[in-house]
This record gives sequence, C-alpha cells and structure tokens, in this order.
Amino acid sequence: MTPRHTLRLAVLLLAVLHALILFAGFIAPYDFSSQNRDLTFAPPALIHFVDTHGRIHRRPFVYGLRFDALDPTGYKIDPSQIDPLEFLVAGAPYKIAGLFPATRHLFGVRAPSRVFLMGTDAYGRDQFSRFLYGGQISLLAGLLAAAVSLTIAVAVGALAGYYRGWIDEILMRTGELFLALPWLYLLFAVRAVLPLHIAGWQVFLLLVAVMGLLGWARPARLIRGVVLSAKERNFVLAARGFGASDFYLLGRHILPQASGVILTQLALLIPQYVLAEVTLSFLGLGVSEPTPSWGSLLSSLQQYYVLSSYWWMFLPAVLLVPVFLLYYAAANALQERFRSVQL
Amino acid sequence: MRYLSRRLIHAILLLLAISFFSFALLQIAPGDYFDSLRLNPQISSQTVDRIRAQYGLDRPFPVRYALWLGGALRGDLGYSLASNSAVGPLIGIRARNTVLLSGTATALAWLLALPIGIGSAAKRRRTVDRAAELATSALLTVPDLLLFLALLLLAVRTGWFPTGGMTSAANDESSFWGTFTDIAFHLVLPAFGLALAMLPMLVRHVRAAMIEVLEAPFVRAARGHGIPRSRVLFRYALPVASNPLIQLLGFSLATMLSTSVIAEIVLSWPGLGALMVESIFARDLYVVVAIVMLSSVFLVAGNLLADLLLLAADPRIRTE
Amino acid sequence: MTPRTQMATSESLDREIRSPLVGIKRLNKSYIQRRPISRAKFEVTALQDASLTIARGTTFALIGESGSGKSTLARCLALLEKPTGGEIWFEGRDILELAPPELFEVRNQIQMIFQDPASALNPGMTALEIVAEPLKIQKRGSPAEQRDLALGWVARVGLPSGCEHKRPMEFSGGQRQRLAIARALVLMPKLLILDESLASLDLANQEMILKLLGDLQREHSLTYLLISHDLRQVANFANEIAVMNEGRVVEQQPAAKLFAEPRDSYTRDLLLAMPSLESIVRDRLA
Repeated sequence: MTPRHTLRLAVLLLAVLHALILFAGFIAPYDFSSQNRDLTFAPPALIHFVDTHGRIHRRPFVYGLRFDALDPTGYKIDPSQIDPLEFLVAGAPYKIAGLFPATRHLFGVRAPSRVFLMGTDAYGRDQFSRFLYGGQISLLAGLLAAAVSLTIAVAVGALAGYYRGWIDEILMRTGELFLALPWLYLLFAVRAVLPLHIAGWQVFLLLVAVMGLLGWARPARLIRGVVLSAKERNFVLAARGFGASDFYLLGRHILPQASGVILTQLALLIPQYVLAEVTLSFLGLGVSEPTPSWGSLLSSLQQYYVLSSYWWMFLPAVLLVPVFLLYYAAANALQERFRSVQL
Repeated sequence: MRYLSRRLIHAILLLLAISFFSFALLQIAPGDYFDSLRLNPQISSQTVDRIRAQYGLDRPFPVRYALWLGGALRGDLGYSLASNSAVGPLIGIRARNTVLLSGTATALAWLLALPIGIGSAAKRRRTVDRAAELATSALLTVPDLLLFLALLLLAVRTGWFPTGGMTSAANDESSFWGTFTDIAFHLVLPAFGLALAMLPMLVRHVRAAMIEVLEAPFVRAARGHGIPRSRVLFRYALPVASNPLIQLLGFSLATMLSTSVIAEIVLSWPGLGALMVESIFARDLYVVVAIVMLSSVFLVAGNLLADLLLLAADPRIRTE
Repeated sequence: MTPRTQMATSESLDREIRSPLVGIKRLNKSYIQRRPISRAKFEVTALQDASLTIARGTTFALIGESGSGKSTLARCLALLEKPTGGEIWFEGRDILELAPPELFEVRNQIQMIFQDPASALNPGMTALEIVAEPLKIQKRGSPAEQRDLALGWVARVGLPSGCEHKRPMEFSGGQRQRLAIARALVLMPKLLILDESLASLDLANQEMILKLLGDLQREHSLTYLLISHDLRQVANFANEIAVMNEGRVVEQQPAAKLFAEPRDSYTRDLLLAMPSLESIVRDRLA
C-alpha cells in the first residue's frame, strides 16, 4: 500500500475511533459509575445468534449469568435465560459530548438482565461502558496536550527561525533546558505539589497544561529548521519585495512549508501523551474516581488475584495497541509523504 | 580543549537552571509543608524546628534557594517525611537499584539491537530486514504498561520467575553467590521487559545509521576493490557509523534513571521510580525534588558524555 | 537574433530626462560567517564602494564573473537585503533612509525577476493567486478588480486562457518565468531587475521572453537592470553596461563604447574571453 493510501486508511480509522469515543454515552449501555454489587467481576458476555438448541434467533442475544461457587470466575452461563439485544433503547441519561442531554442508547437488554461486553470490575461496573468513557479522558488529554505543545512549538520555531539573533539564542537555550528535564518525573513532581484530591477537571486541565508545556522543545527545533530554509526561498523574497509584512510571510508562505513537520509531530506526540495520561492514572495520579480513564481501568491488575483470575481486565490494555498502531502508521505515512515532496 | 570547557560550562549552567526550576516547584506546594510535618507524631517538634531553621523557611526566596543548593552540593538533599531520614542515603540506595535494572536492560537491548540493526541494514529489503521491521513495529505499538503486565501475568501463572521485588524474603543467606542468584532471578523479568521496550527505537536508529554509512561512496569503492562484504562492514562501515551510535549510547545512558518507572511499579522493583510514586502519595516533597534533580543530572551528564566520546572518536572535531 | 533597435537607445532618452532613475553611491555589504564547529568568525565582503547610475527607460546591464557581487547589488537595490554602507537613490530619494510607510510605497516601484522560476513561485498557490498577490499585499482595489487586473496580465505575457487555476508545477519553465514577469509588472513598477532571469531557459524560450520584455518596455516605459553573464545577450540588448569585479564596479559605459574602448584591463580581459563577440562588436561599431 502506498504511503498515501496508508495515510488515508489510518486517518479514516482514527476518525472512526474518535467518533466512537465521542459518542461514548450513546454507544455505552450503562453509565460509567453505576455499580452492580451483586455482579462483581462478571465475565464478558458473548453475543450469539444460535442458541444451545440450535435455533437461530433473529436478534442477537446474550445468556444470563448465574452464581456458581464451583466455577473459578464464580459465575456460570445460564443457557435457559436468553436476553435479546435491543437497539436504540431508552436508558440512563447522559450528555453527548458533555453538552446535549439524551437518553437513547445504541443497544441494551431489558432489565433486570445485564449485558457486559467486557465484563465487570470489583464494583460490578460495566467495563465496556467505562472503556468508552475512559477513552474520552485519555484521548482528549492526548489531543489537547499535543495541541498545546505544537502551538507553542510553532510560535517558538517561527520566531526563532525567522528573526534569528538573540531571540533565537534565548528560545533555543530554553528549549535545551526543557529537553534536559526528565519529563515523566517532572510530570509526577507537578502532580505531587498539587493537593491529592482536588476537583477532577482541574487535575485534568493542569496535567494537560504541564504535558503540553514540557513537550514543545523538539518540534520547535524541527519547525525552526524549516523556517530557516523556507525564509530564503525566492517566493518568500518576492513577496517581501511587494511589501508583505513578516506576519503575512510567516502565515501565508513560510509556515505552510512546515505543515509536514507539524502533522508528523502531531501524529507522534498524541500517542505519547495518551500513554503519559494512562501511566499517571494507572498509578492513581490522574483524574479521580469515579471518572474512568484507560489507565485507571488497568490499575486493579496490580493485584495478583485480579491479574490471574479475571482475564477480561486486561482488555483495555490490549485495545490500546490498535490505537497506537493507527497513530504510528499515520506518523510513518506522513513522514514518507513529506520526505518525498521537497517543497 | 576549548570545545570541552565550553560543553562543561554549558552543562553546569543547565544543571543550575534545572535546580532553580525544581526548587521553585517545591515552593508551589500549598500550605506550609512543615505544618504537616508537625502533625506527624513520629517526628519531634524539636526536629521540625531544627529542619525549619536549617532550610530557612522564614527567609526570602533567594536565601532559601541558596541554602538548599548549598546543602544539595554537600549531599544534604533535605529530609524525608515518610521514612524519617535524610533524603540523600535513601535515594542513593534506590538509585543503585534502578541503575542495576536499567543498566542490565540497556546492555541487553544494545546486545540485541546491534546485530539486528546492522543485519537489517546489511541485508536491506530482504526477508531479514522486513521481518525485523515488522517485529520492531509491533513492539513499538505495544505500550510498556501492557508489556509489563503481561510479564507479571506470566510470572504469576507459571511461577518460573519471582513476581516482584528485588530479593526474596526467604533469602537470608549472606553468601555473595546466594544473594547474586537471588537478585539475578528477580532481575530477569523487569530487565527483559525494559530491554524489549527500548529495543524498537534502538534498532531503528542503528539500522538508519548503518544504512547511511553503507550508502556512502567510500563503502562502494571498497566493495569495488573486491574487499569481502563482512570486512567492509566491520572494518570500514562500522567505525564511521559509530559516530551517531555513540550519541545514541549517550542518550541511552542519559535516560537510564527515568525509563524504568513502569517496570519498577508493576514488578515491584525497589528503585527510584517506585520511590517517586510512593513519595507523591506521602507528600514527601523533598524526595520528589531530589529525584527530579538526580535524573536531570543523569540526563545532562549522559549527553555530555556522549559529546565527549564523540570528541574522542571523531578526529574531525578535534582539529577545529 | 533580435536587433537591438527594439530597445530604446540611451542617447535619445538622455536628452529627455536629465536625472537618472537610480543612483547607487559607494554601496558596501559584508557578511559575517562562522566556521563550522570552532565557530570562529570571518568576514566576507560582497560589495565594496560600488557605484553606478541607471537612466530612465533604458536597459542597464551588469556583468562580471560569479561572486563579483552582481546579485548582491541587485538584492540591495530591490530592498531584499540591507547594505552595510552607502546610499541608494531612486527618483531623487535615498531609499535606505526612508521610513516604513514610504518604503512600502517604493517597493512597488522596484521589482525583481529571479533566475529560477520554480523557486520564485509558491508551489501551493494557483497562477491567479500568484499574480494577484502583490495587489493583495499592497491593497490595491477590490478583490474583483485585483482578479481582473491579474487575469489581464496573465494574458498579456502570453499564457493561454484557462490556466489561471493551475499550479506552478503544471507549467513549463518558460511559462513560469512569464508568470513571474506578470506578477512583477502587475504593480506597474518603474524598475525591473532581471537577475539571470533567462539563464535557466532554453534558447527558444529565451528569445520569446526577450521579445516580450522588449515589447513591454516600450509599452510601459520600463527601465531594466539586466544581470547576466551571457555577454552576447548583453551586447545585443543593453544600452549601458557596468562591469563588476570582486564587489567593485570597475567601469560603466554606454554599450557600444564599452565594447569598442574598454577602459579597464579587467573589462578587456573579460571581453577577450569571448571570441564570438568580435563580430558583434564590429556590427555595433558599424
């Protein structure tokens, strides 16, 4: 597959992924905090079309669960209880993208039955729903932090590369300073100086801000390089000859030349920041309960009994792989594409 | 010589700036840090007062910074609330453990990356290269967290390796060999996992560096003279490729203290990363800042070392 | 070969207009560069007390070897670089001393055509956008007026209709240079600097563009500063020639006189290096 096609495919899939996460409220059958104390650590429900008697059902269905002390998971599938999946059901209220209230969910089963596509955790919370909601936190953190870093990088790179002189010196030295900082530890340190239990969204914004502030140095250096060479291009000189202002030159002629670098860095930084957020929340330093994040979904795995008995708790980690795969594939394709086109 | 002194001064200035930065961070902590110290029944109020005077909390910021810096240079990095002891020795032990882990992992990673990278570059585009590229890409997309959790699962399920820690509680032997094997067994999983985590980027860089050299005209000229391929590779290409490779090594060394955080947490290795997390929960701020400083020192020192090695290895730079 | 009579002769014009359009007095330009790694500084002098005058409506040629400072002088004149010393007089004003608002005005009077047409055009813009850009920057007229004016010039330089939405990549070298000319003329400048503008084109294209330039000069009373190391072209089209060597203007004379009686030894060596000039020189003297 040519880089062009890989890029298109990767971007398309990424868009689908982000759309799914954005509409987490709709797709998730349950709220992320609703507990089912009677169904803790329930295994995932498989979707069937054919039942144990060989009958084919029109609607996909799941089997009910029964307690069974003898089974290692503590549950046993009850083939007699058939719960068909219903679509566009009314359920717990939620907000689309945090703004528009709604109650329709994509699918669900009639109460009191439950459908847990990824099983439940220690409090009986549906992992599938929590995974979708968690994605909102983790992906948003990655996207926002990357946006912050790149905005700073573009500004710094443009100023340093265009004006040179002492501005360049100061900015690049500052960049060196930032590059010399152990960013993960520094992130921890910032988290450390904040009170441990401040409001969730404040923690989120602060972490995004710090991550963004720490990561601008490397892309800034790359952008500066592009600006340095671009500003000597004849078409830039020509525009200057017409009396174009520095601002116009940068915006219309010079920075567009850096679009390749910017996009590639974006594709590399986002997964890095997502991983940072996941790491922090895994350690309990991210957003606080009950708001889920992909990292906090995994933190229970630090306990041996969870790790060895409840395999479905691994799923969020496994599902991270395709996310990173898509971003890295996009980054690679972008690098290929912009390397061959020497503008 | 001028180059050397310039880099050295540069490094020292950088470290000073970082120390200032880190110290300023400490001051953001809301509330008087020592109030919470006072609440701790294990620490006598005399100790608290002594610490207070020592760190000059009632003096202006520059004085406090000077006091802290002076203390730090002497090895006095503050006081640890959680372990009721001085920060210095505490960090020293943990740092040693971390270096043991990352050092082993780095060595392992390099031992694997060099042949794979060189081999891929030498047999470019053929099966070996493609297979290696596929494997490293796959490894790259697996987040460290998943990797170590999987290793932990392996340990728990199979019992072949200890599930965490650095030594077994059951191991009371004071014999060197006994302790050595015990630690070695505990080291396998985290070091292996860490090495795997480092491997993809390393292989990529080694391969890229080798390819760049192999495409140079002088290499082709050597082949044209009939010099056998392996000799060209090792006696002609590799020495020239060592330039970027040494820089890479420096970078590996530089990040040695910070790469092992996840490994330490998941596999309970008592290192600096684990201490960092514990200290955050314990609000043990002096430890936190000291760890940041220490890893910065490693980063700067590692990069400086890389530059110095480059200076020694590359005659072109020396003649300027 | 296009006969030189298509270009205005400097003698007739001199009688009409007394003061020169451009006067360059003792222009100096030096750069400070650093050696790699050791970063020791050393100075490069590109222009040393260079002086010349360009009369209105003429074609003035600047010749010399590579590195003699021709391009640097041109760029200083086009206000693309700042000289380290000296004066540049344009229409009676020292443009190096002007305040930004007046400078903005002057910029549309002096335009430059570069050697490589591909690098002079932003590959991401369409032909129409490129030609209309100066109008946009100088804020002349409404967008519709700008568009019409730009289209008019695109047609005038001989580009086929319907090409205005194509990008530079889709044009040939000669066509790109025409685009560059259209863009330069859209602001109706008085002085057009041609910095080796024909060097990258094949002979057929060179001929066509030279003809175009000649027509345009007569239509719009343009003054050309032609920088070239093609002495044949210079011999055919320039009214006045200046010779540069190592940052200095070694001599400036009307074209015919320069070929017949070069005053400086360097000029003589330069001319002698081109044996085919003999016939042309003899033609001009005749």
